[in-house]
Amino acid sequence: MATDSRSEASPRATAPAPDRAAEHVSEVLQGFDSIGHGLAVWSRNDLLIYRTKACAQFFEDVGVKPSDDLSLTDFLNMLAATGFLLLPQDTEVWTEEELRLFRTGGASNYTCTNGRIYCNERWPLPNGGVSMLIRDITEVKRHQTSLEKARDEADRADKTKSRFLRAANHDLRQPLATLKILIYNCMVSDDEEHKGDLLHAMDISVSIMEDLLGALLNVGQLDAGQVKPRITTFQLSTLLERMDIEFSHQAREKGLNFRVVQSRYAVVTDRALLERIVSNLVANAVRYTERGSILVGVRRTRDKVRLEVRDSGVGIAPEHCEAIFDEFYQVAHSRNHRGALGLGLSISKRIADILEHPLDVKSRPGEGTIFSIVLPVGDILQSDIGEPEINEKIGGEFVGLSILVLEDDEILRDALTELLERWGIKVEAFGAFDDLAGRLRETAFRPDLIITDYRLQGGLKGDETVRDIRAKLKLDAPAIVVTADTDPKLIEGIRGDGFPVLIKPVSPPRLRVMMHNILYEPELVRELKS
Amino acid sequence: MTSTPSRHETTPIGSMVPLTGPSSADGREFSNGFTLAMEEINARGGILGREIEAHFVDTGTQSAEEVVRAARTLIEDHKVHAIINGYNIGPQNSEYEPIADAGIIYIHHNTLLQHHDTVMSNPGRYFSCFMGDPAEYWYGQGFIKLISWLRDSGQWRPRNNRIAIISGAKPYSIVIANAMASCAKQFGWTPAYGPKIAGAPITNWQPILDEVRAVDPAVLANTHFYSGDLARFHLQFIEDPIPCLLYLQYGALHRTFLDVVGDKARGAIVGTVIGLLRDDLGKSFARRYRQRFGEQSTPEVGCQPYTSLHHYAIAAAIAGGTAGPGNIEQNQAISDQLKAVPYRSVSGTICYHPEWQSAVPYPDAVNDPSLGLPHLFYQILNAGDEQALIAPYPYNESDFELPPWLAHLET
Repeated sequence: MATDSRSEASPRATAPAPDRAAEHVSEVLQGFDSIGHGLAVWSRNDLLIYRTKACAQFFEDVGVKPSDDLSLTDFLNMLAATGFLLLPQDTEVWTEEELRLFRTGGASNYTCTNGRIYCNERWPLPNGGVSMLIRDITEVKRHQTSLEKARDEADRADKTKSRFLRAANHDLRQPLATLKILIYNCMVSDDEEHKGDLLHAMDISVSIMEDLLGALLNVGQLDAGQVKPRITTFQLSTLLERMDIEFSHQAREKGLNFRVVQSRYAVVTDRALLERIVSNLVANAVRYTERGSILVGVRRTRDKVRLEVRDSGVGIAPEHCEAIFDEFYQVAHSRNHRGALGLGLSISKRIADILEHPLDVKSRPGEGTIFSIVLPVGDILQSDIGEPEINEKIGGEFVGLSILVLEDDEILRDALTELLERWGIKVEAFGAFDDLAGRLRETAFRPDLIITDYRLQGGLKGDETVRDIRAKLKLDAPAIVVTADTDPKLIEGIRGDGFPVLIKPVSPPRLRVMMHNILYEPELVRELKS
Repeated sequence: MTSTPSRHETTPIGSMVPLTGPSSADGREFSNGFTLAMEEINARGGILGREIEAHFVDTGTQSAEEVVRAARTLIEDHKVHAIINGYNIGPQNSEYEPIADAGIIYIHHNTLLQHHDTVMSNPGRYFSCFMGDPAEYWYGQGFIKLISWLRDSGQWRPRNNRIAIISGAKPYSIVIANAMASCAKQFGWTPAYGPKIAGAPITNWQPILDEVRAVDPAVLANTHFYSGDLARFHLQFIEDPIPCLLYLQYGALHRTFLDVVGDKARGAIVGTVIGLLRDDLGKSFARRYRQRFGEQSTPEVGCQPYTSLHHYAIAAAIAGGTAGPGNIEQNQAISDQLKAVPYRSVSGTICYHPEWQSAVPYPDAVNDPSLGLPHLFYQILNAGDEQALIAPYPYNESDFELPPWLAHLET
């Protein structure tokens, strides 16, 4: 018969002095009851002979109804059968293991469906039987889990930071190297136009660095699982153009034939992340190709396009082809390459995996390498063109025309030149007119139209100067005479000689209308008919 | 504290419309569209309690002198708070000067790239000048996108990547042609002919068509926009068709073109950067418009000032009311609201670009249909039917079909 601490003390807990001893046992058992954890004792013949109040509560909580002759085996079977415990393996195995722990001593945890967790510790008794201590460890476990989670997060953040620093070091070297070459070339160049081109290329390199930093931050956040790629539909041509600008200088410095074949396709992906992949692939190609060529191009395959970076470099042995995508992996012969930390391909692979774009490599030692990434084709009509650049330099009606400006007032000359250039016109402007025809002959400049002030320096007249130039250079470009004179007779005279006239200050809309009529609808210009 | 306006206080708003001259048919529709919007706004109590009072001034042949004079009349004689109208082809933005001096809101539909140049050259001075439709430039870019879409989606298989471009002599046509040529390469096309600027009016297109035939293009675009000239062009093209896709500028949607060409027009592609949608909003507007102005009226044209007057009324109400010449501060507040509040009109969404101050086109410049005015592409079916609206999604209603002269080759 099992003894509940709520009943009278068992006669088996007796002592030589029966009354005193019974009282003593009762006090001891009350002491056990005051312990917050459940305590039970099983006899040498495996029957439950004692349980504290807390233990009785545990039985109730887990759905076990203890009877007077509850055996250990029945207890375990009952516990397994309630369905209240989340058993780690099948019931039979679990029962056997638990029984073993009752024999040998030891602890195991019970996780319940209500989220509580109990620890059951057992100690065998010297003459057979076993005592059992049940502790509710739910709160302890929760704290432990929180602490483990916090530690894991701290570890991950630390790793992410290290990865970010390594990646930043690796990726920023590429545009920095380009920038150094461009700055040097700019310093030694005397040609203003060439300097302008170099500054433009520098500007692009700096913007690539900015983009890279932004993307690196994204990758850091991707490590932490916090960023979703921003998928849009856009034209590959814009990305390929940036690759051409970023790498052509460097490739040329190495004496490589570098070619980017433009593509007409729109693709569906994250523009910045794809650019990082392709940039890494091209940077690798430039780094590991000592002679020959690099070709970047696109092939269509049904509803996909394959963007390929082909080089005639050292190639990769088949056994390395898979491992090159691992972090810091470098094939032995490539270790001498400055700035190559073996991160670019692993970053590319990670991003490609996130974007779900297959990234592949085909190569043989000595025969070059083809890296390729497969992208879904997008709807070109809905493609994102970014912040569109739209102005008259791109699509205006005067784009590509050449105009000769003769004006000795520097401020007016500069203002008119600026206005015409804004309309996409090539302008040659002169403020001095000695041997103008000779100076023009030295250039390849052949104007479609001449705009001249009427009163030029040295007593020269605009209309006469135009006639002189036309005769000497065999030009038939029409001309507009601009004047501040408002004498009707004078103006009529100039018009009568076949020169349309504009009165200063020149209004841009009026100049525009007059230029249009002269160039495209001359039948509307009265002066040209005379 | 605001006071309730007395019953007779009105808001004078002007409109510069070609009521005489070659564009008088469109001018009539522009004044109709303005009138219908005014009546609807006034029926709801006007702008913050003040009814709109319309002042129309005829711009005749739309020369710079006539349009500038119209602007001055409206500002000086009628003290208008805003000028809202359809297009005036001739002034080349010279009317911006008196309007900028007065600082009143001006919304037009001139479809001109030079609007960008003028506004961006001095944003402070031209803060009040808006273009309620996208620049003509987008006709060119949008068309190249369209043919690339037809090609890439397998709806049409071009024989090669060559494109031939013929332009009219007007700036509008030249800009569209230049835009086509400038962005063709980006989309995988090679300009093989032109832009060839043809003088107008042209009766004999054969020499140009012979030159085009010699380069064997997959696409031929004619950006000239006079309906009569386009009709002659199309009839001469169809006598011995070049096996290419054919695009005709806006004028081919006009009744004149369809009356002359008839069913032979089938297959040609035409576009407009501002048109009337065929959804419930558009249909309801068209019904009201025809009830008010007759079955022969053209809501497709009248929708332009109709839309812009409604948008102005909303922006002015949010800003706290309209303001006349000289009240720069209040008109600046209305200008800010016009840019801040997109308006879903019967033509689609008017969403002003903060710097261009013109409506942003969809899908040419944005790929969100709720933030752009749809650049609509039609394929002509026959002289009588509504033409097939083939793009862009979600406004399209019909599939592209191979033009008869190409379908014949395919079979």
